[in-house]
Amino acid sequence: MRLVTSDGELIQRAATGDHSAFEDLYHRYARPVFGLALRRLGDRGRAEDAVQETFASIWRSAASYRPERGPGAPWLYAVARNAIVDRARSRTEIPADIPDEAAADPGPSDRAEQGWVAWRVHRALEELPEREREVLALAYWSGLSQSEVAEFLSIPLGTVKTRTRAALAKLSDILGDELQ
Amino acid sequence: MSNFDDIVGREGLSADEEARLRRVHDLLVQAGPPPDLPPGLERPPTAPTEAEIVQFPLLPRRRWTLAAVAAIALVLLAFGGGYLVGHGKTKPTSFATKRVVPMHGGNAVAFLRVASKDSAGNWPMELEVNNLPTQSNRRAYYELWLTRNGKPAAPCGTFRVNARTTTVRLSVPYDFKRFNGWVVTRQGANDLEAGPVVLST
Repeated sequence: MRLVTSDGELIQRAATGDHSAFEDLYHRYARPVFGLALRRLGDRGRAEDAVQETFASIWRSAASYRPERGPGAPWLYAVARNAIVDRARSRTEIPADIPDEAAADPGPSDRAEQGWVAWRVHRALEELPEREREVLALAYWSGLSQSEVAEFLSIPLGTVKTRTRAALAKLSDILGDELQ
Repeated sequence: MSNFDDIVGREGLSADEEARLRRVHDLLVQAGPPPDLPPGLERPPTAPTEAEIVQFPLLPRRRWTLAAVAAIALVLLAFGGGYLVGHGKTKPTSFATKRVVPMHGGNAVAFLRVASKDSAGNWPMELEVNNLPTQSNRRAYYELWLTRNGKPAAPCGTFRVNARTTTVRLSVPYDFKRFNGWVVTRQGANDLEAGPVVLST
């Protein structure tokens, strides 16, 4: 059973000026916001600014959150997306020529879907113990085999497999509806 | 490597459990790696310790009601206009906010963000104003003041607006304990005194 304070509760507490609640939200969402900003802006400096603006917006707008309208994660996503889009818009330039062919890039709806999935998954990863998170990172995004992960971390191969499955099971619990 | 069999394996898993883990596996692959946070983002931008909080004597906690009202107004304006905050046109880069002071007047709202006092004794501030009318006169402007007993007492800087949202950086060396609020006034080209108040705390 998970007894973690919900995002919605933290937003409501932040609305009353509770700095510790705001810091908890920051630690949960700084990486997902930064990831979303990087995807959209493609520049680490501008993405960093977008994160600062997003959390300033969250702090200012927390009182507008209505728990009866839904959980906190989508509200936070909307605030982040608006702050990031706003920053992107400030640098948008009209192309000199209209391209002849459709771009191969994903369309806006695909990008939004990918952004939302990454947002939820990266947020969920923040809840894992460090030792499980590092096993997943090495296995999924560092190109190491399970044996290489075991060697890299100096732990038995069986432990790597156990931690991997335990981490996935926890992510499944955390993500809940996302998996339906 | 992102093959389920290689990373997770099926040995000893029931069909249901395998399906559950595979869905998570697919989401991890789809999401890609989370980014490393740059050093500048390791701490929250507005997480002051008690010692760092700027004390505004007559802006106690009850002012958070006003903050909430102002924030809601801003959000309504923002969504109505197609954006949340800032127009970007005049928006500077990040600012290490330690305290936010909401202001309002008519349809306009503003947020004065105050950072920690610097080593020289200045308080860096960032003022974001929304929905203030643009000046009709090319030499007219707005002015931010600290107030004492409700009256403008110490000038904090002047600015013009040319968009629905304008953000400006200001800095003052005053001791805030000597004052009890903030206002923004509308200044004509030849005004030497504080003009009419258009925003107040």
